[in-house]
Amino acid sequence: MSRLISLALLLALAGCSIAPFKTGSPSSTTAGARSTGTGSAPVLTTPTDVQQPAPEQVIEAPAPAQIPKERPRTPAATLSPASRALVSQAQAQRKKGDLPGATVSLERALRIEPNNPLLWIEMGRLRMDQRNYPQAENMGRKALAMAVGDDVSQASAWQLIGDSYKARGKNPQAEAAYEKSRALVPR
Amino acid sequence: MARKKLSAGMRKRLQRGFAVLALLLLVAAIAVVAVLDRRVTAQFEGRRWTLPARVYAQPIDLYAGQQLSAKRFADELERLGYLAAAKPDRPGTYRQLGNQVNVFVREFRFADGLQPARSLRLGFAGESIAGIEDARGAEVPVVRLDPLLIGSIFPMHGEDRIVVAPHEVPPLLPEALKAVEDRAFETHHGVNPLAILRALFVNVRAGQVEQGGSTLTQQLVKSYFLDNRRTLRRKAEEAVMAVILESRFEKADIMNAYINEIWLGQDGNRAVHGFGLASQFYFGKPLAELGLHEVALLVAIARGPSYYNPRRHPERALERRNLVLRVLVDQDVVSDEDAARAAKKPLGVAESGTKGGSFYPAFLDLVRRQLRRDYEESDLTEVGLTVFSTLDPLLQQKAEAALEGELERLDASGREAAKDLEGVVVVTTPQTGEVAAVVGGRRASFAGFNRALDARRPIGSLAKPIVYLAALETGRYTPVSFLADEPVDLKLPSGDRWKPQNFDKQLRGQVTLVRALTQSLNLPTVRLGLDVGLDDVARTFEDLGLEERPAELPSMLLGATNLSPLEVAQMYNTLANGGFRSQLRAVRAVVNEGGEALKAPELAVAEAASPEAVYTLERMMIEVMERGTGRAAKRQLPAGLVVAGKTGTSNDYRDSWFAGFSGSHLVVAWVGHDDNSPTGLTGTTGGLAVWSRLMGSIVTSSFEPMLPEDLEHRWVDYFSGLETSPYCDGSAVSLPFRVGTLLEPNPACPPGTEEGLFDLGSPEANPAGEPAPDSGFP
Repeated sequence: MSRLISLALLLALAGCSIAPFKTGSPSSTTAGARSTGTGSAPVLTTPTDVQQPAPEQVIEAPAPAQIPKERPRTPAATLSPASRALVSQAQAQRKKGDLPGATVSLERALRIEPNNPLLWIEMGRLRMDQRNYPQAENMGRKALAMAVGDDVSQASAWQLIGDSYKARGKNPQAEAAYEKSRALVPR
Repeated sequence: MARKKLSAGMRKRLQRGFAVLALLLLVAAIAVVAVLDRRVTAQFEGRRWTLPARVYAQPIDLYAGQQLSAKRFADELERLGYLAAAKPDRPGTYRQLGNQVNVFVREFRFADGLQPARSLRLGFAGESIAGIEDARGAEVPVVRLDPLLIGSIFPMHGEDRIVVAPHEVPPLLPEALKAVEDRAFETHHGVNPLAILRALFVNVRAGQVEQGGSTLTQQLVKSYFLDNRRTLRRKAEEAVMAVILESRFEKADIMNAYINEIWLGQDGNRAVHGFGLASQFYFGKPLAELGLHEVALLVAIARGPSYYNPRRHPERALERRNLVLRVLVDQDVVSDEDAARAAKKPLGVAESGTKGGSFYPAFLDLVRRQLRRDYEESDLTEVGLTVFSTLDPLLQQKAEAALEGELERLDASGREAAKDLEGVVVVTTPQTGEVAAVVGGRRASFAGFNRALDARRPIGSLAKPIVYLAALETGRYTPVSFLADEPVDLKLPSGDRWKPQNFDKQLRGQVTLVRALTQSLNLPTVRLGLDVGLDDVARTFEDLGLEERPAELPSMLLGATNLSPLEVAQMYNTLANGGFRSQLRAVRAVVNEGGEALKAPELAVAEAASPEAVYTLERMMIEVMERGTGRAAKRQLPAGLVVAGKTGTSNDYRDSWFAGFSGSHLVVAWVGHDDNSPTGLTGTTGGLAVWSRLMGSIVTSSFEPMLPEDLEHRWVDYFSGLETSPYCDGSAVSLPFRVGTLLEPNPACPPGTEEGLFDLGSPEANPAGEPAPDSGFP
């Protein structure tokens, strides 16, 4: 797992030196910057709203031999200090059974970083506590949509989706979701 | 003798008569007192239960990295009634020193609990917050400011109030009330005969009513029963009830009841009661933070809220305030110097529309309607709920200004049809589905017909993206699929013929899908919609969040469907949110008087369309802004800001719409006449102008959707649809295709190899994104 993260980080760093996508209209250079993706070349960008990796993680970079050629990867999403504080507050509130309080804290974090898949997954976990399983799944799907190329976040989103199926007694779907999660991040 | 006997008998009977009469009178008096007792006691004790729900705007979250300059932060503090002070050492004060702001944040009970008052130091770096520290220098990762009170949900023609506990009342206020209104308050038993006599004497001498002899207790009773008849019986009843109150309750309770009860102003239908609300209504800050000059003004207003209305009669109010200050000196309540200093201060009344009060009728109407799904009207108007809404006051202010500015410009344009137009603006934050601002008309603070929610008008070309989404969902189209721009002649079920035309009445033969949408061509859109099927298109409207499925008529494809701006916002919010539908919310949380969280609309998402179809549509809607009907917006937007949107114009130019979004805001703007007469405006000249004025005036981020894994970007020619090099005379456009889609190459300007692309350097090196002259690229 940590190997995979470091791999993603390495790729991300490599990606920074590669020219991002270019668009036709002169003023829309940002339009394609995040949405780069071609079938054969590892074109990588660093989304502006995803945190840069912490320096200590970079040290243990493995050999780049296993770069998956077919899909562009982005570094695993991390939380900003503000949302990290709010997420731990929400987790403490959940532990106490204060679900409305946890909702308030998580929504605050979501307003600060609406594009962070980790926060949507966290929101899905809260919906699990509230026994709102369909919404737990939907939060997972929302996280998936914004975690393109981020295997770690995608894996936890599938884990959440699997849990929500399982809670509703949909075991085959749950297994399929867990399988997707394992395929992304073997454990 | 006989006379004597008679008179003795008479006397006996008279005596007995008197006794009976006295007894009857006593019984009657006791009965009257008992009745009055019941009435006034019930009123006194039950009073605290009829509290309108208080509605707050969204609080500002402060954290390092937030886009907020020191100047704008200070503006926000002013809006919240914070006082600039040399030493910010009590709640509600702040000090700005260049790039640093020290602020003593007020205590506030949020939906998730109490946030205590605390002293903070904020450092700023240019346009953002660099860091936040508390008084001991410890880093604070995130903290909320107390939110702006934006109004209450009170019954029609009803009383509104904010009840304050004794500890929330500045000690000066009761002292001032006693000094000015009722000097013997501490000793009398409800009435003050001496004061009545004195008042009588003064009034007789003056020939008019100059002085009231009522005690505070009598005034309280009078206010309870809202009866202004000055009959003797009324006065007597009031006096009796005052005595009853005094015998049953403590002086301190009566004073607190008075402070919360008394009428202190009028705001349309809404009667402003109590000093707690009056403080917000006139000064935009909590009662506890009022200075001497402000307390004196409220005491002055208490004597006659209409006559001494500080907004309407500032001189009169100022004179009375200074009279109050002199009385306070005479009665040794304040020192001569303090009073003299206070008398030099201006009234300090907040302008309507910026602070306090109920200045957001269209938004509050939405809050009320959303709450009515879960609450009875009486819950909202009586039990003292606290409602945390999604209103962003700054955005609301900018939206009002954008609409007003643009409509005034049109007034002055000299075009008769463009005069006296009305308009609506709705702003949402797409990812969370929150309604951040609602402007219901050009006079935004005027409560009336709520156009944002109730004006249903044909949406014109705003329907097109929905038709294109339905088409992309079938998987049978790419952005460069060809559509015929040729005449359409349809026989409708009604027997009528329908022959729509393009806006410019031109025909272009075969056009690409992206061009048809970007230039808002009607004929190819109708052909596309008919090919996809009206039922599919109607279902897509529903999927995007429209509650009522539109009538399946071909004219639906060109936006004959009547929708309110809020309904449009709901559908476009789903487009702006990557195809995830979130029911728009104006309320985040509701708590009861005990601080307990109650039912409120929840943040919920649902996948309404495939990510691939939505992404492709979004990319084409970006092209609308780059080269299509929305390009006029560029001039007003910051360079490089990526936005997506669509214009809409209904038949005969009756409605001018624009709906579009950045990465963080969706804005829907409508301009038209209430009587539905033509405006002479297209979506570009009306709705888009309002939209871009607003988008250009707010802090917002680029729209950068995530490319789904199954799609890749390819360069194609906008007109011919051929795959091409990015550097072909301006008609090359980068659009998404399913990975591996076969595209015909453009022989005149064939696509370059990917290796070649990377050799061109990053956009930073070449900010214009134009080819370097010597790139050697074909």
